[in-house]
Amino acid sequence: MSDNMTTSTVIFDGNVFSLNAVKKAAYRHLKAFTADISIIDKQIQCVLTFPTPLSEKGRLQVENEFKKEVLDQDLREQLHVETAAVRNVILAHAFSKTGLTTDEPVSDN
Amino acid sequence: MSQFQTIERYQPTRSTYQLLPFRFTPLDEHQYVLTNLAGEYIVLNRPSLHDLLAHRLSNVDPAYIDLRARHFLMDESAAITPTLLSLKLRTRYQRLAEFTGLHLFVVTLRCEHSCPYCQVSRRSQDTQRYDMTPEAANAALTLAFRSPSQHIKIEFQGGEPLLNFPLIQTIVLEAESRNQTLGKDLAFVIATNLALINDDILSFCRDHAILLSTSLDGPKDLHNANRPRPGGDSYERTVRGITLAREVLGHDRVSALMTTTEASLSRVHDIIDEYVAQSFNGIFLRPLSPYGFALKTRSYHAYNTERWLTFYRQGLDYIIELNRRGHDFAEYYASIILKKMFTSDDPGYVDLMSPAGIGIGAAVYNYDGSVYASDESRMLAEMGKDTFKLGHVLTHTYEDLFTSPALLDPLEESFAYSNPMCHDCAFEPYCGAEPVYHYAMHGDFVARKPESEFCRRNMETFRYLILKMENDPFAKRLFLQWANR
Ligand code: SF4
Repeated sequence: MSDNMTTSTVIFDGNVFSLNAVKKAAYRHLKAFTADISIIDKQIQCVLTFPTPLSEKGRLQVENEFKKEVLDQDLREQLHVETAAVRNVILAHAFSKTGLTTDEPVSDN
Repeated sequence: MSQFQTIERYQPTRSTYQLLPFRFTPLDEHQYVLTNLAGEYIVLNRPSLHDLLAHRLSNVDPAYIDLRARHFLMDESAAITPTLLSLKLRTRYQRLAEFTGLHLFVVTLRCEHSCPYCQVSRRSQDTQRYDMTPEAANAALTLAFRSPSQHIKIEFQGGEPLLNFPLIQTIVLEAESRNQTLGKDLAFVIATNLALINDDILSFCRDHAILLSTSLDGPKDLHNANRPRPGGDSYERTVRGITLAREVLGHDRVSALMTTTEASLSRVHDIIDEYVAQSFNGIFLRPLSPYGFALKTRSYHAYNTERWLTFYRQGLDYIIELNRRGHDFAEYYASIILKKMFTSDDPGYVDLMSPAGIGIGAAVYNYDGSVYASDESRMLAEMGKDTFKLGHVLTHTYEDLFTSPALLDPLEESFAYSNPMCHDCAFEPYCGAEPVYHYAMHGDFVARKPESEFCRRNMETFRYLILKMENDPFAKRLFLQWANR
């Protein structure tokens, strides 16, 4: 059997990671692999297909990068939710027609 | 009562802080770069990032102090932070309200050079068919002055614009006359290879404060190989023109741009040395754009982004060393990015704007009266794709042109803030949307960023600049100077 692989499967716990985080991470890696994503018993299963066969070491490297990215995406989601209110305040102030830089005082609450 | 705080006040505490919106992207194996809404950045290692996000960071941790000072978190001592961030963000986008400040007039498509990579498809020097008419120029001027921008820069382009110098004179005189009542901050630039420069032209430029922007690709052999012309003396003419122009207009009234070709890639030191020898204060190490003959002759594909990045890094390292040895010399692409990193002032460089710079940053009035959203848009049109043609100076109003779907659709679709991958990319505040590039290369305004060479080139450049600053205090001081020029 050849050592080189064209596919591999990575599984994420759906209780821990969101489907969206996994999808976004797969998108970022679309040059390295295409992913068929499905949910089986609350497990997010990703079948990765590589454009050219990879050695065991190469496959592990790609899988690790993918896992790290899923974790990053998950953290980004948390951060996004946690900072949504303050982000809206900042954006509203920054792009309001009046206030901040001109005549009208604007409170920050 | 003691005038000092109690010792407990200075004990590390588990702090209660609120996170502010920011984005993070890996910088290397171990570190991340974080940017806030205003584009300020900070570098953290992975454990510190995780501590920050989990609210585990102690308020005496040096990273905590930095994060608070740069608006990544706030606590009871920094409640003003959202207002400050709003102000910075507003300043950053101020240019949008100014609208189009740069107006490019393609006064002729004729050229006496025949550069194989030319980004504008050249035409024979002899035919008048490719000159802008005075009627079209007049209408274009009316449109340029309709822009709400207080700063109007009119840049004459070609072909070789000096082949139609009488029209340049007419436009300059008419613009000055109209501006007597409008009172705008008006500036003129001629983008010329200087081969045809003479005393009469220079006198006119001096009398009307016209800047000259020329092309210098490097040392003689490289420049002449890149820019064939009858007599094979492009370099000699350019250098002579630079000297003459400086004598008449002043040293700083002449700038130069280089074009990177396959032949340039192994010569970055020679190219920089040539700029130093010609007493320029800096260089713009440009990538080759994929338009015009560059794409037609496939010279764009002759090298890839990786090779350009090597060229760029070698060039930047060399320039840093020049400065370390006491020679004041800048790299302008880095300077634009650094200005975005360290100031709230957007330099308005069309390729690095989001919303895209098309139409907003620049408008192009082509020799035949067609109006395009950027210089690249008209280059694409020369290849038969007029997707970014906004209309015609003689048949469309200002409102027609600048609310045309050919402008608004790509602007809206390509806005990086809402594009996959760009949306959560820490480099988004420094990057651009570039719908024209992505349309030319991928057939749509956005493209998949993991496959985009534009994305790869910029992301690696941002990383390189930040890593340089992290590892070399001299480079950091130098880069801060460039940012604040
Ligand atoms: S194009 Fe690439 S580098 Fe630029 S913002 Fe988008 S993802 Fe980031």
